[in-house]
Amino acid sequence: MTDGTWIALISLGVTFLFMTGVPVLLVIFYWVVGSSFVTGLPLLNAGSELLNVFKNGFALLAMPLFILTGDLINQSGIARRLSDFAYSCLGWLRGGLAMAAIGACGLFAAISGSNSATTATIGSMLHPEMVKGGYDERFSAATAAAGGTVGIIIPPSIIFIVYGFLLSLPISDLFIAGIIPGALMVLAMMLASFIVCTINGWGILIRLSFMRVMKTAIGAWLGFFAIGLVLWGIYTGKFSPTEAAGVTVGFCIVVGMASYPLNKIMGSDNDTPIADKSLVSMFVVEGFTALDIPRIVSRSAQITGILAPLIAVSVVMQQQLSDLGAKEVIGDFVTGMGGYYAVLFTSMAIVFFSGMILESLPVTIILAPILAPIAASVGIDPVHFAVIFLVGASIGFITPPYGLNLYVASGVTGVPYFRLLPYTVPYLAALIFVWVLVALVPDLALILLPDR
Amino acid sequence: MSILADIGTIFSALLSQDPWEIKTAFNTQGMWVFSLVLTLIGGLFVFQIYKAVPFLERHLERGVAVFMYLAMAWIIFSGVVDRFVFSSQVPWSTTIPPFLFMIMAWFGCSYNIKLRTHLSFNEFRMKMSRERQLIALTTDAVLWFGFCWIVVSTTLRITANSADNFAIVAGTDSIMQWWFIITIPVAFLLMSGRVVGNLVEDWANYRSGDVLVQTAVIGGDV
Repeated sequence: MTDGTWIALISLGVTFLFMTGVPVLLVIFYWVVGSSFVTGLPLLNAGSELLNVFKNGFALLAMPLFILTGDLINQSGIARRLSDFAYSCLGWLRGGLAMAAIGACGLFAAISGSNSATTATIGSMLHPEMVKGGYDERFSAATAAAGGTVGIIIPPSIIFIVYGFLLSLPISDLFIAGIIPGALMVLAMMLASFIVCTINGWGILIRLSFMRVMKTAIGAWLGFFAIGLVLWGIYTGKFSPTEAAGVTVGFCIVVGMASYPLNKIMGSDNDTPIADKSLVSMFVVEGFTALDIPRIVSRSAQITGILAPLIAVSVVMQQQLSDLGAKEVIGDFVTGMGGYYAVLFTSMAIVFFSGMILESLPVTIILAPILAPIAASVGIDPVHFAVIFLVGASIGFITPPYGLNLYVASGVTGVPYFRLLPYTVPYLAALIFVWVLVALVPDLALILLPDR
Repeated sequence: MSILADIGTIFSALLSQDPWEIKTAFNTQGMWVFSLVLTLIGGLFVFQIYKAVPFLERHLERGVAVFMYLAMAWIIFSGVVDRFVFSSQVPWSTTIPPFLFMIMAWFGCSYNIKLRTHLSFNEFRMKMSRERQLIALTTDAVLWFGFCWIVVSTTLRITANSADNFAIVAGTDSIMQWWFIITIPVAFLLMSGRVVGNLVEDWANYRSGDVLVQTAVIGGDV
């Protein structure tokens, strides 16, 4: 048997393991082990890469720190304030709560950088209220899943960090390039939810009140400050993305611990409706005590303990694929399609279909180093291609059979996975529309970059 | 016979505590057998320790992960503050955190084995018969164990190489890299203990008629 046949058999074998529920981490690792035997590469290489990914990856440190930021803003009550603000702005529209959930995902994503954290936080916070407000529970769960996709496009973003790390692109440029596409994704999904809710008559309308908007905006000031801090630091070059993440963690811990006693002194409780809260009490969030911090960090550590090893084994798999000549094979296939647009859309198709069966981090780690040079060779700007690639990868979070956000949304809302699938279709259509738009109009990604 | 001789060499090298001898002994074929036995015995030992001391079972891995997380965040945060306020920054503030991240990642990975929260496509498994579910869970255990074995074997060699080269963490004068690297095989021995624990639990659940495959919630145990 040829090496190619062996690799095909190994790939089939691990696909079978994946379908029977073996963790993705093991599936990828055993593919690496199998292909090492075929190519004659010592397993020591795989072992040393599991170390080197971390040792040489200062940029990767932003990932755990932005995950922690997400948990800290959730626990401190800042995330709740952001979602209150989004609801007070959009609640007067049909489907306002669903649109507010997507808006809140966008705001949450601008401080955290994780799709699953965004889905879990906003889903667990707004799903019960959406169900109470007359929305179909399956639609509500699908909204949380879809809203979470912007978590990795609106900066800061874990996946942009990984992409920049792999392809040696400035992560701050990638972050800035993600702003407009991320905002467009939010708007497109809001439009989709408006149409669906108008057709089905879902949602209870609230009156648009200037006072309420102002009050909730004041209530969310710490969230806006954190967003501003991250964007200012990265945009002006004051911090690297990793440092921005560290600073945001420090800010959230200080704010959370300072708010808790202040909140107690003011006697406000979390159950008081916003309309009944005084303007002064809106300045202070619920916060947390020093004793709560290990519990919060423990949750972040759990998520990092899932994602970081997955990144490490995916990097090893990418290197093996490179040794096997996959780069040339896929490169020949993609370039054989023709020029600029053919390469662009073939790459998008590859990312889309890979996202259906693989988690988006491995998709990025495995495919980006192969597709990005091909895209560059036909004149696609590397930063523009990064955004196209990653918007596609983010869509993979809600495409079955393997859509991570669908699992997370199902987990936090209790709606079974297969039941929420049909309700993601309008959001999927909206996201694909934005994806194609971003691919065809490079300025949407590049216009905010200072040197363009 | 030569494998047994290799294992003998490994033991004598470990007793000598000489990095060069250890490195040489670890680079023999006998290392695979040695690390297989080490992973198996280590896993059983960790399982027994966890059974005897439930506090460690609940808090060891996540305690280490949380400590590393906070230390990493603090070093990076204070590095930025130092730069802005004092116009200086300690040189190791960018070289130590990646090692702390590495430790956190692998200890966190181990704890996720206990929680069974590693990402997987469970839809078909949930619909399988109990017997098939048990086979699938046992397969998971075997695959996890193999993962632990390979990583323990390879990273012990890397640790010995690093110690032999006197590799120092950049930005420091005397902090050796191997002090951090050795935590990887340690984390994988803990993982192997988790694998044993899960396997014992699965077989007990099968015998008692309890549910075998459940939907895990990320962050649900915290």
